[in-house]
Amino acid sequence: MSKQIRNLGVFLVCCYTALFLQVNRLTVFQAKELQNDPRNNRQVVRDFSRPRGTIETVDGVVLAQSVESDDRFKLQRVYPTKDLFAHVTGFFAFQLGSAGVEKTYNDALAGRTLNFSLKELGDLFVDRERVGNVTLSLRNDVQEVAREELAGRNGSVVALDPRNGEILALYSNPSYDPNVLANHDFTAAAAASDELNNNPEKPTRARTYMERKPPGSTFKIVTATAGIEHGGVTADSPSYPVQSEYRAASFGQPIGNFGGGSCGGTLFVILQESCNTAFAQMGVENATALGLTASASDFGFNASVPIDLPGGVRSVWPTDKVANDPPVLAQSSIGQNEVSATPLQMALVAAAVANGGKIMVPHVMREVRDGQQDVVDRFDPEVWTTAMTPDTAELLRQAMISVVTDGTARNLDNGLDGNIVVGGKTGTAQIGNEDSSHAWIIGFAGPEGEPPTVAVAVIVEAQPGVSEQTGGAVAAPIAAAVLKQALTAPARPDAGATATNSSG
Amino acid sequence: MNYASRRTTELGLLVLGSMFVVGAYLLASLPDDSPIPTKVGPFLGITVGLPLAAHVAMRRLAPQADGMLLPLASLLNGLGYVFIVRLDEARDAPRGLAGLQSLWMILGVGAFVVTLMVVRDARKLERYRYTAGLVGLVLLLMPLLPGLGQVIHGSRIWVSIGPVNFQPGEFAKLALAVFFAGYLIEKRELLAINRAFGPFSLPDPKHLGPVLIAWAVALVVMVSQRDLGSSLLFFTLFLVLLWVATERASYLVVGILLFSGGAYFAYQSFGHVRERVELWGGFWALIGPAGEKITQIDQAAFAMADGAWAGRGLGLGTPTNIPVVESDFIYAAIVEELGLFGGAAVLIAFLLMIGAGLRIAQQAASGFERLLATGLTTLLGFQAFIIMAGVVRLLPLTGVTLPFISYGGSSLLANYVLLALLLRISDDIANRQSAQLAAHQLTEVV
Repeated sequence: MSKQIRNLGVFLVCCYTALFLQVNRLTVFQAKELQNDPRNNRQVVRDFSRPRGTIETVDGVVLAQSVESDDRFKLQRVYPTKDLFAHVTGFFAFQLGSAGVEKTYNDALAGRTLNFSLKELGDLFVDRERVGNVTLSLRNDVQEVAREELAGRNGSVVALDPRNGEILALYSNPSYDPNVLANHDFTAAAAASDELNNNPEKPTRARTYMERKPPGSTFKIVTATAGIEHGGVTADSPSYPVQSEYRAASFGQPIGNFGGGSCGGTLFVILQESCNTAFAQMGVENATALGLTASASDFGFNASVPIDLPGGVRSVWPTDKVANDPPVLAQSSIGQNEVSATPLQMALVAAAVANGGKIMVPHVMREVRDGQQDVVDRFDPEVWTTAMTPDTAELLRQAMISVVTDGTARNLDNGLDGNIVVGGKTGTAQIGNEDSSHAWIIGFAGPEGEPPTVAVAVIVEAQPGVSEQTGGAVAAPIAAAVLKQALTAPARPDAGATATNSSG
Repeated sequence: MNYASRRTTELGLLVLGSMFVVGAYLLASLPDDSPIPTKVGPFLGITVGLPLAAHVAMRRLAPQADGMLLPLASLLNGLGYVFIVRLDEARDAPRGLAGLQSLWMILGVGAFVVTLMVVRDARKLERYRYTAGLVGLVLLLMPLLPGLGQVIHGSRIWVSIGPVNFQPGEFAKLALAVFFAGYLIEKRELLAINRAFGPFSLPDPKHLGPVLIAWAVALVVMVSQRDLGSSLLFFTLFLVLLWVATERASYLVVGILLFSGGAYFAYQSFGHVRERVELWGGFWALIGPAGEKITQIDQAAFAMADGAWAGRGLGLGTPTNIPVVESDFIYAAIVEELGLFGGAAVLIAFLLMIGAGLRIAQQAASGFERLLATGLTTLLGFQAFIIMAGVVRLLPLTGVTLPFISYGGSSLLANYVLLALLLRISDDIANRQSAQLAAHQLTEVV
């Protein structure tokens, strides 16, 4: 009997050892996996019930904050600016998850990043909740101008600082009120979400970086870059023939100019007039498919823009289709056919020219501060991609300035001081064969003799009429107003680094 | 050996355990939004007064018994109580489980003292083995009686008599342990005879009768009461005792084969058994926001993953996400809030109790006492193992309570009686050894 009782003991010890090992697995080795299980909402519940930092603009306007509520979560997330910054802040909701900055900087807002953990060690005996307050690089005043100028029309405005990638404005119509999704009445929140999702205009989608459209003639900056860098194009040669039609091959549709007109000439002239036939010819004969593909990808086409917001889409350059099809290449060279781009990408095209060819990583976060206003994290500017050489950039900068002084983008310096140098490029992208088009403009501005401090892209979607004037007439005044506001000093003096006081 | 010092050890350990439990309660009540009100008076009475009362009874009724079992049981019981208070108060509509559990604890310690008083000599229980067997069988099958049996949470293991609901299975296992120990000691010679079947040496089929009866009863319990846990526990108890009594491992093999075969047959033939098995992941499958199924087992795993090394802290987790966490799943709540360390501490406490129980079994003088102590320890150790193994996804989930920790009157009462019986056997050993020593010394003097 003794032996059996001893063996029973050994068996039970084995059982308990197995239990111990399994508890190790669950609490330590599998813990991350279990916590990331999509059905596990414990982290969300915890985040939901604990203090959460604010999101503010650089000029001190509160975009998101947690206020006390008397329901089971004790705190309610509110968005005082409603639809104005919805696509930037996103929302923080219980069942619907989160979006925007609320999602990207969740750990910082909840005070859960490494920096906070280290600080917490020192706070062991102090009753203090660590939260992170996120300050964005966006400016409330510029954002407001963007919304005002779009005046309810579907479209997007992106403004950024080409020198460091800080986004100054990121607004698109239609927008939505994040408060309805963050509602603790989950039934109401779900109903609101369904209604937004069923809306064919998709108000929850940020058109600035989640939707792409054919960029039309604004893409000619990319074509010109490819022509200069891969096709030997200079300011003086070649001089493209003045013609009303360009045939890339014996087959396929010829390229015509808007309104059937004729145009041609050297780089500056054809850019000022936005000459389709000349740029189609440059694309096919000078830049070639290889060169254009190289330049497009140097600008970031076909790659995800590394912005610190979730859900962005990449812009498209049809590498495979243009390879052996000159007519498609001709159409693509003027930003039609299957070329499509987000407004953010097109703003980055302008920024590349403004910043000596380098595109900085675009970002909305400027810094994260803790409750004591100590900075715990800051976005360090870094280069995302190099689109062209500094020489090419300088040439194109001059060319784009001439488009404002002598070309289709004359409206881009409306209301701007004389000592501000502005460059731009308009675009009109026909929608199928309809008599309507997307009106585009991209551009940059800055004080004379200094690198431009603001780059901008504006699209107003589905405008009646198809002519090269559309972009200059519809989109340029919006961009001009945005540039003007962005060039004034922001309301808070400590944020002066991004803008230059033009009146001073 | 100086058995007198055992009570001093016991008192010291009880004080240590009570300090831990009181500390745990205070910690759980500290957070700003703590669900626990700091009602210290009645709480101290329950967590300090009750163990001390049991200790005083031990000093009078079993002064030379093992000194570790009672402090370990009190510690586990106190820890369980803190968690039950914490879990119940955290609910939107507390069900007053804390108050009830303190009542069960008082009754449990009462039953402990009464058992020590009534059973003055464990060997005398051997006389009542057939009565115990009958009582055990009746209790086991009682929930099947129409009018008495209640189906709660899918299992028919409850009996209602007037206002009292209880699980007779918890008491049946004690009666059956007495019966098996007595019966097997009586028949061990006969049952130990092996016959050669070719290369194998197997028990004579003539003597397989009791095995078959136990097997049949286990299957009836499984199929009719849908209670896999009790069925498994009951059959394990029988097999272990049969093996220990006869010293024939072949019984283990035959028994395991029979049980597996029977369980498979039941699974194939009875829809509700199959359904129960398929719900092994937990009876309460919740439906998540995307329509996906989240079982109790999943919730328990999420809770334990949140616990990590040191736990979220008492009162700081959200264990009430797990349906009926205070009974079968209380171990998950402990691991969530006390972490791997706390979970390991509970395992060690159970292992120490198993060790103490088996030591008593080894030292017991009569075969009956040895078997009874083995059986009682098996019940305690194996029941704790199968429910914790179910909670941590080591084995399929079988709904039994975690001894001394889970909420529940029947379970607590039965386990305190079990503890008293073990301590009674331990005290007998010491008494006999003292008597022998005295006789020895007497002879020398003469």
